[in-house]
Amino acid sequence: MNPNPLALIAEVTHRCPLHCVYCSNPLQMVSAKAELSTGDWVRVFQEARSLGIVHLHLTGGEPVARGDLKDLVDAAHAAGLYTNLITSGIGLAETRLKALVDAGLDHIQLSFQDSRDGPANWIAGTKAHAQKIVLSEIIRRFPIAFTVNLVVHRQNLDHLDEMIEFAEQLKPDRLEIAHAQYYGWALKNRDTLIPTREQLENCMRIVEAAQERLSGRMRIDCVVPDYYARYPKACMGGWGQRLLLIDPSGNVLPCHAAGVIPGMNFDNVREHSLEWIWRESAAFQRFRGEQWMPEPCRSCERRAEDFGGCRCQAFLLTGDANATDPVCTLAPTHHLIESARQEQRLDGEQVSWSYRPNPEV
Amino acid sequence: MPRPSDSSQPRFASGCRWGTQGEQRVVLFPEGMIRVQGTGQNILELCNGQRTLLEIVTTLAETFSGGDPTKIREDVGSFLEALQQKRIVDY
Repeated sequence: MNPNPLALIAEVTHRCPLHCVYCSNPLQMVSAKAELSTGDWVRVFQEARSLGIVHLHLTGGEPVARGDLKDLVDAAHAAGLYTNLITSGIGLAETRLKALVDAGLDHIQLSFQDSRDGPANWIAGTKAHAQKIVLSEIIRRFPIAFTVNLVVHRQNLDHLDEMIEFAEQLKPDRLEIAHAQYYGWALKNRDTLIPTREQLENCMRIVEAAQERLSGRMRIDCVVPDYYARYPKACMGGWGQRLLLIDPSGNVLPCHAAGVIPGMNFDNVREHSLEWIWRESAAFQRFRGEQWMPEPCRSCERRAEDFGGCRCQAFLLTGDANATDPVCTLAPTHHLIESARQEQRLDGEQVSWSYRPNPEV
Repeated sequence: MPRPSDSSQPRFASGCRWGTQGEQRVVLFPEGMIRVQGTGQNILELCNGQRTLLEIVTTLAETFSGGDPTKIREDVGSFLEALQQKRIVDY
């Protein structure tokens, strides 16, 4: 029998006031009118707890865009879930934040696009930076955990030092330096986002030094982007192993990108129990175990560790969802990654972004 | 950040708290958890932000009769320091 999941990623809406170029939401977003009701989510949180889930990640789009967010936090807390709010902070005034904390919110993760106003707003496609700084100061007055999430890529890695110092001043407990991952809009913008090898090596060096300097004051987490790694990541901790995602319409997915894989039918919380979906549904069963693996994964000694990498990435880059994730140096298609890497810095690069739009009403 | 002193009052950091996973007591923190049992659990249950480190060590020495307070002090100090670095505990 499969292990119970540990975390639920609740994508409560695809509405968002930002248009970030690195957004990994699906290109086909759920319209506002198709969103689950408050009552649906309340029931889902209880089912999640019964299934053994401990962590709830309230995300989207922008979860603050939901008018019933306080009711969702109330319900999650009543169900005994640890609540993480993943937000841009836009639309979150002090009174609203206080209401969420009083309802039992445990942790807020606030995104930043840069240390500098102009570049940050350029990445977000809207003026957001100044408001986030104001919100950070307000967050510190409340007894919740506070993480700053800084998304990094070729366009901002050259001033990573400055971005870390900027983050420090906001006084979070934790700083996550998140290398953009190439799904959704980030994949469209990949060739403008992917860092150079030199930027990546500098990044690792700078992060290590900062971790030491800030030890005990601010925890810094940073993972090497898989395009520059030797082996793939154990995506989501394995397909249908540790977590599950529910999209705004109530479809249950093993991960945020699984919709790109052809032949996938997702079951919906309006029709089935979460337990049944987790244990029995075709989508969840599809890449469990090892019988689906081709070579070299099938006889690879790492297969129980990284499961051959990311299925969605394998499909997006090779057209075959069963294939070894091309980021693996052992993958027959590894050359796709080698040619995508930006080995050299481009001088005076002309950038033209695909900005994330809003879903239809 | 140095080790806790005798007068430190260790407690969970903001947003960190007890939870359960099935039958098991766990410490929940942003996007993660650690399973604690035995001595680790005993220590953390005593860290209420009021008790000083000295009081915690004394209580543990009494509870586990035959425990050497100096060794307990050393073990508790390094245990809490490790959790402080992960921003799970403050003192």
